[in-house]
Order: sequence, then C-alpha cells, then structure tokens
Amino acid sequence: MSTYVPTPEWIVLDWHHACIAAEVLCIQRCTGCGRWRHPPRRFCPACQSDRTTFEPVTGGGSVLSFAVSHRSLDPGWQTHAPYATLLVELDEGPRLLAATTTPPGEIRIGQRLAVRTEALSEHFVLVWADPAAHDEPTSMAPRARGNPHD
Amino acid sequence: MGADLWGTTAIVGVGETDYVRGSDRHVCDLILDAAMEAITDAGLEPADINGIIPPPGYMSAEEIAAHLGVPDVAYHVSVLMGGASPTASLQTATMAIAGGLADNVLVCMGWNGYSALRPKPDARPTKRVMNLGPMGETVRNHYAPYGLMSAAQHYSLYLRRYVETFGIPEDAAAAVAIACRNHAQLNSKALMRGTPLSRADYDAAPFIAEPLRKFDCCVETDCATAVVMTSLEHARDLVHPAVVYLGGAEGHPEPADEIANRANLLELGIHRAAPRAFARAGVSPHDIDVLEIYDCFTYVVLLQLEALGYAEPGGAPAFVADGNIELGGRFPLNTHGGLLSQGHCWGLNHVVEATRQLRGTADAQVTDAELALVTGYGDLGDGSVAILGRDR
Repeated sequence: MSTYVPTPEWIVLDWHHACIAAEVLCIQRCTGCGRWRHPPRRFCPACQSDRTTFEPVTGGGSVLSFAVSHRSLDPGWQTHAPYATLLVELDEGPRLLAATTTPPGEIRIGQRLAVRTEALSEHFVLVWADPAAHDEPTSMAPRARGNPHD
Repeated sequence: MGADLWGTTAIVGVGETDYVRGSDRHVCDLILDAAMEAITDAGLEPADINGIIPPPGYMSAEEIAAHLGVPDVAYHVSVLMGGASPTASLQTATMAIAGGLADNVLVCMGWNGYSALRPKPDARPTKRVMNLGPMGETVRNHYAPYGLMSAAQHYSLYLRRYVETFGIPEDAAAAVAIACRNHAQLNSKALMRGTPLSRADYDAAPFIAEPLRKFDCCVETDCATAVVMTSLEHARDLVHPAVVYLGGAEGHPEPADEIANRANLLELGIHRAAPRAFARAGVSPHDIDVLEIYDCFTYVVLLQLEALGYAEPGGAPAFVADGNIELGGRFPLNTHGGLLSQGHCWGLNHVVEATRQLRGTADAQVTDAELALVTGYGDLGDGSVAILGRDR
C-alpha cells in the first residue's frame, strides 16, 4: 500500500473527517436539491446551492474502469506490482478511485463491488473496493490472503 | 468579431536544442538557447520582442526578458494546461498581436524532463520545477494515495475503458509508435535516430500501466524549443516564408480537474477544441497535409484522431493502418518523430516541425505541404489545436 499519505485541506479534508467519524464511506450531498457529488465541490453544479452534508452511502458500486500498474514511483505500491486501482461508480452516482486486494486478472468492467474505508491518519481515509459477495462467491479470498498493507 | 483574429498572425522564427537524456546544460540555458535561436531565425533581435509566454514553470517571463536583453515587455501571460500549453499559447499570442498589445511574441518551452529524476553525477544542480497547476491538487489528494503517480497511470484509467469499449487492438497503438520511430530515423535531432523499432520489439516490451507498454510511452528528455509570432503583414518582410496561424482553439473536458466524474470518460478537451479550430481556420480535417499530434502515449493519439474527426469513435485503428500515417501516406503523422521518438518538449517541438514542413525545410519533408495541424494535450485531458498554413 501507499507509503504516501497526504494531509488534505479545505473541503477535501472535511470529506475525510466525515468518513473517519462515520467509519463508513460518506459522500457530499446537496442540501438544496439532494444530488450526490464527488470530489467535494463548493457549489452544486445543478442548483448552485453551497449547503451540503456528507452522508453515508450504501457502499455498493461497480467497476467503471481500472488501471493496472506494473511499476510505481511509490515504494509501498511497488512491492505489490502489478496492482489494480479501481474506478468505482457508486450506486448513488458519484465515482471515485479505490484500492483493491483483488488481483488484476480477476477484475472486470461492470463487476459489482463492496466499498469500505480505512483511516490511515486522523485526516485521511483510503477507500477499498472488492467484488461483492453475492456477485463473486470467492470474494472472501482476498481477505484470506490478507490485505496488502497487513 | 472573432473572425478578425484568424489568419492575421504568423510564425516567423523557430529554435530548438538537441533532445538528450542527461544534458550538461542547466535547464535555464536550454530555454534561453532555444529562445535566442528562434529570435535569430526570424531575423529579429531581442529588442524587437515585446511579448513573452514562458514555459509552465522553470523560468518566468521576467527572467527570460532580462537574460535575453528584452528591454520592454508590453505583454506576458502564462498558460497552464500541461502539454496543451505551447499549442494553446499560439492563440494567446495571436490575441495579443491582433489586439495591438504586442508586436513580436516569443513562446518558450524547455525542461529537464530526464535529468530531473536522474541527474548526471556532474550535472549542474537546479531547483527549477514545472508548475503542476490545477492537476497537482487532484493527483496529491485523490490519485497518488491509490498508487497512481505518473501520467501513464492516470490516463490508463480511461484508456482501459477506450480499449475495452471498442476492442482497440495493439496493432493500432503499435502503428503509431512505429510511424513515429520511422520518422525519427530521418530527423537530425531525434533522440531515437539510429534506434529503429520493430513490431517484435514493441510486442516484447513490458507493460508500464495497461494498456500502455513501454513503447506506447514518450521518451523523457532534456530539451527546449521556442517560436516567434508576429503579424502576417510584418512576417512578409522577414527572412522566411510566413507560416500563417489560420486558426486554433483550446478545450477542456468537464470537469477538467479530475477524470473519474466525467459523464463520458473518453471525452478529451480536443473534442471541444477541434470543431472550434476548424471553423476558425475555415478548413476541414481532410484538407490537412501533415498531422503533428501530441503523442505522450500512442492510445491518446488514437483518441485525438477520433476527436478531430479523422475517424468515428473506435475507428482510429483503420485510420492508422496500411501506412496512412507514414511519410508518403495520405496523413503523415509526427514527421519529426514526435514525443515518442524525437523527444518530449511539451508539443512545441510539434509546432517547430509543422513550421518547417510549411517552409519546405523539414528533414522528413512532406511533398507540397500546405496545411498542417498541431495538437496539444495535457494535465488531465486539456486540449489545444493549431492549424497552420503556407502564405498564399
């Protein structure tokens, strides 16, 4: 896993703090019109309201695309190469990147995912996603193998 | 109203250093060497320059003016679109000239793209860095913690989707890599001159970030380039045949500052810039004789060709097949070798090459080249287009 852990600021920091407090993934939601959006933005692109909350999401989503890195400038990630990074489309709509314990060869676009968070500091959560249990009967295998950061 | 701009300016001077892996020169010397060469090539003197667009980082317009001996800078601006910056700078220079803010504008690019990470033991140290601009925040906060630090990794997020959606074969990416390498064999300054690339070499190379193999990725180089623009009227009094800036544009995907939440993951800024640029120049894609396409990565070239209208979405593989993009084909592409094989100068080397093609002085000259198209691509998908033509 990453040896690099950023200390975000501004509304990105608010997002991380919300996820850490809730112990699940939260996403910014417009109080004006109810739309979800990510990454955090000051004004709602639909209704221009700047009143927002960070609300827990279901944690369900699917693979929109993914990167498979065969080398990394980050020494932590380099030890896991080749590793996948998932571009997840949450069921609520917004998309974000997620780390995964699933080997690159077992990932498919469209695959159902379950998302969870892990606090790496008081100010930063990493998002993880792996195939959802009902979609992939073998999805407990990554846990059995252990997370890359264990 | 905007129509008054297009076709009123011209590129009159070009300069470029060698493209090397590990320069003995300080990055500022590279930038100033190319700048002085461009001014001299135009038959001008530093005192004639009164507009400066510096590189995105490394050196300021103020410093460049002071070191070159430019006494009166009437206009300067920085363009921060990563690799789309130099080509977008041509439209900015045109606005300044057509608007009467400046007469002769110097556009500079240069960097230590190789030595920044791997300096020679005796290299002169530098603290100069690129200005990451808007991309820095997104990469720091949202991509790097997930192991995506490099451009190849960031772009592979949407290139995977491109390849899987349309079944883009490696043949198409290889055709781009090999065409650029073939053209580099003819270019006196290409880093990869003397190092041909076969299909077997391409296939044998490891993945960097799928679908990108080693030879899908441009070469990191130390280099600098510069061009001088002036009014077409003034250009006709100078030494070289004027190369007219017929039209250009920039474009940004929405949102421009991150990739994941774009409604269409395959949308580039070029998709928005291209129709604007062709309309402004009053030409169509099939009028173009030479294509100088920003080739940070082969698959990004394929997507740009589609965005420019040379193929339907997913249709670029047929366009790049059968020698169509080789010298002697209908649409010779990156006749200098491009970022993939000449060297990476953020696409201002593409502008230099297009200028030489239209002067008729290129090393790999396209017969009777009258119209050239240049693209820039940078940051997380920003795009720029320039359409250049011979003076008639």
